[in-house]
Amino acid sequence: MSVLIIVFLTAIVALFSGVFEQGKFARYIGIFGLIIALYVSFMPELAFFEKYRHMYDYTANTALFTKISIVTTLLLFFLGGFAFSNHRSHQSELYALMLFALCGGITLFGFQNLVTLFLGVEILSIPLYVMAGANKTDLRSNEASIKYFLMGAFATGFLLFGIAFIYGSTGTFDLYKIHDFGTQNPKNVMFILGVLLMLCAMAFKVALAPFHMWSPDVYSGSPSLITAFMASVVKISGFYALFRLMTIGFAGVTHDWINVFGVFLIITLFLANAMGLAQTNAKRMLAYSSVSHAGYIGLVFFGMTSLSTYNLAFYLFAYSLSTVGVFMCLIWVEKLKRETSFGAFKGLAKSEPLLATVAAISLLSMAGVPLTAGFMGKFALFSQAMNGAAFLVLVAVLGSAISIAFYLRLIVAMFFFKETTFKTSEKVTLTYNIVAVFIIASIIMLGVFPDLFAKQFGL
Amino acid sequence: MSGLLLTLLLLPLVGSGLVFAWKDKSSKYLALGIALVQMLITFYIAADFDFNPTVDSVLQHEINYPWSQFIKSSLHFGIDGMSLLLLLLTNILTPIIILSSFNENVSYRNSFYGLILLMQFGLVGVFTSLDGLLFYIFWEVTLIPIWFIAGLWGQENKRLEFTTKFFVYTFVGSLFMLVGLIYVYNHSASFALTDLYNASLNETQQTVVFWFIFFAFAVKLPVFPFHTWQPDTYTYSPTQGSMLLSGIMLKMAVYGVLRYLLPITPIPIAGISGQIVIILAIVGIVHGALIAIIQTDMKRIIAYSSFSHVGLMVAGIFASAVVTLRGSFTIEGAEGALVQTFAHGINVVGLFYCCDILYKRFKSRDIRQMGGLAKVAPKFAVLFLIIVLGSMGVPLTNGFIGEFILLKSVYDFNGLAAVIAGLTVILCAVYLLRFYGKAMFGEGNDAVLSTAKDLSAVEFSVLASIAVFVILLGIFPQPVITMVSSSVKFIYTAMAN
Repeated sequence: MSVLIIVFLTAIVALFSGVFEQGKFARYIGIFGLIIALYVSFMPELAFFEKYRHMYDYTANTALFTKISIVTTLLLFFLGGFAFSNHRSHQSELYALMLFALCGGITLFGFQNLVTLFLGVEILSIPLYVMAGANKTDLRSNEASIKYFLMGAFATGFLLFGIAFIYGSTGTFDLYKIHDFGTQNPKNVMFILGVLLMLCAMAFKVALAPFHMWSPDVYSGSPSLITAFMASVVKISGFYALFRLMTIGFAGVTHDWINVFGVFLIITLFLANAMGLAQTNAKRMLAYSSVSHAGYIGLVFFGMTSLSTYNLAFYLFAYSLSTVGVFMCLIWVEKLKRETSFGAFKGLAKSEPLLATVAAISLLSMAGVPLTAGFMGKFALFSQAMNGAAFLVLVAVLGSAISIAFYLRLIVAMFFFKETTFKTSEKVTLTYNIVAVFIIASIIMLGVFPDLFAKQFGL
Repeated sequence: MSGLLLTLLLLPLVGSGLVFAWKDKSSKYLALGIALVQMLITFYIAADFDFNPTVDSVLQHEINYPWSQFIKSSLHFGIDGMSLLLLLLTNILTPIIILSSFNENVSYRNSFYGLILLMQFGLVGVFTSLDGLLFYIFWEVTLIPIWFIAGLWGQENKRLEFTTKFFVYTFVGSLFMLVGLIYVYNHSASFALTDLYNASLNETQQTVVFWFIFFAFAVKLPVFPFHTWQPDTYTYSPTQGSMLLSGIMLKMAVYGVLRYLLPITPIPIAGISGQIVIILAIVGIVHGALIAIIQTDMKRIIAYSSFSHVGLMVAGIFASAVVTLRGSFTIEGAEGALVQTFAHGINVVGLFYCCDILYKRFKSRDIRQMGGLAKVAPKFAVLFLIIVLGSMGVPLTNGFIGEFILLKSVYDFNGLAAVIAGLTVILCAVYLLRFYGKAMFGEGNDAVLSTAKDLSAVEFSVLASIAVFVILLGIFPQPVITMVSSSVKFIYTAMAN
């Protein structure tokens, strides 16, 4: 909980720093605070917070997910200086909102009470609604914001309704008591109805089909850095919350929701990959790719072993790294070209080889090509799910097979054109290069020595 | 001793990094130097190799490091006779391929040579890894460099279409192999080769695994009807890309079939699946040869001829496997296939280089526009003829002995099949001699011929070294057979049990 408090205080300070110098310092404050929070997350939790354990339980797994989401947010903050350079007047709000959203995410990592879950989801979502509309003068950004808000509010309704049903049948908000109730009364209709409603609400948050409709529009309308935040940190938070909820709280009635969830996955994997193939805009393509990744991650619920949480964390971290890698390239292109169609990337390898390389490696990692972190993540999930749901693995494999085609299109656009469409005078900043090198190194190191992840983040 | 294999693995990787960082102009010398050192190390290993091991020590130069605590897989490498043969092929051909590009005006030289060395790294990994997951990883590693080579230096107006098709096709195949391997892994103790061999799978499971894994190999080889990516890719890739693809990369699949498919899934091979594969392979032999006859693009002729030759290798391997599983132990098909693998690798690289030389002289790949080059380029005519004869499998050339053993092994399986497969010898002579005759002795365009020159020093050294191999292996094929027989025997024994 100390991490949560630190991130929260940082967010407050960053918000108020906007009073001075048009919020120039907010980014540095954020980076500073996040580094402290990251450091603290490696420490054991203070005994003082033990008494809040029934609301917020800071376990080793909580720490693991907190670490990976803080690292991802840090990377995004490093990119922020360039990405938000045209948001002259309200930078501090954006950084503060990102930190607030991160607070929501961290809340979700340790919830042990449905009230905490609900709070976490809302703390995570409300800043996102605002951030999606951060490009105030851009109609698409406004559309993204309002669409996300309306759909999100609808999903919140589902969530609350589900919680109400569950409270009504079990008489408790506590995750473990709900678990016990589920194992003792596996046939309680009201309880199962609540489970399914909550599943749908959380599926909305992580953008699983058929609840993904908002994501392409929201992803492509939001400022690119915010999209990267949604595709990485929000996905980490949403998925781990879903994972905790389903595998702890509703473990007793697994057979009642697992098939529904399996159908979600099948729809997601086919639909998202097929739609991704049809895109001509890289940002929308990445939106569908993000939806399809929710499908792969969902395999973690099948054939569960003691390593499942670790597999989930590994995949999410690998995926977040590659998301940041692709988006940093996309932000650069968007800034110069004011658009993100595949054509806008033509010849990037010639003018910015490092940026093109980081994007290419990230895309290959998303596709699951060996020697990248994405491959090890996919491998772990596939081999786990093979024990319980071989058919789903087959679907996921077919999905990956389709997805490689649209990832390649972007790589082809960047590398396979001799003449560059970029002006050579514009060069990326040093921070950008450092982040790029970091991402390339981490993706490849994790792909070659997957155990590094366990060593670095503790297990 | 194990240090040698580690060097063999790491030298191309480190070298590739060096070449990438090197100056554009002189990177080719650095790349050639690294490839030559690699070749010499391989020669040393071969000279030092124990060719008649007891069964316990088939593997030599074994290295084994722990890898991940979460995956039951380890960094396990080793060399047996079969690996050694393919290592020799890889490491002899790579310097030849690098040398063959010396006269070309390649753009971004350092990336080009860096990618070739990266490819070599992947190939060495594939041929020496003794762990299913490692094999898959290296198998995929080879795909990325060749895709970039084909895409960046391929024929200008075509490369966007064919490269994506090629990548997606092979990637899909590999993914199915991954699923198959994971399935076997979940039913065995670990990814280690011996554990995979001993996986407890019943007949249905084995059949599913067989087709999943075979699909990857069938795409890479290619086996009819999964060959549609191949002609375009071979035709529009740069010469060096075609050489790598057909000379070495295709052999990964032959190796994979022997090393993984046969011992893991013997039941379906003994059953209907094995026979389906043989039929597909034989259809491919005739189909490829017939299409090659009507082609006018010389690289397409080579592509289809390669497709046709590979069919015979597959048919031979599976024919021997089926015969063995029926009770009479034989490894002739696999031996023949490996001899042919080595011979075909060398011949096809030679043929593609001849195509490159012809293209430079005639500025076209269309054989109808060629002719009469023998008059002005006698040296080329002789060396080209040797390579063509080698590909046709004329006695005393390297192609003969492999083809002979393969046909014999198919005959042991079924006489009619052998007759149909044997057509490849006749049809191959038809299309290759037509190509050779037209280009060398046909009616030529005097304007073109007056400016055409005979071989340059680089061209001569490449073709001459290939021609030496063609004749040498044609006269003395026994070392190759001796090299592989003990390891093949081990594999077929593992399959039969």
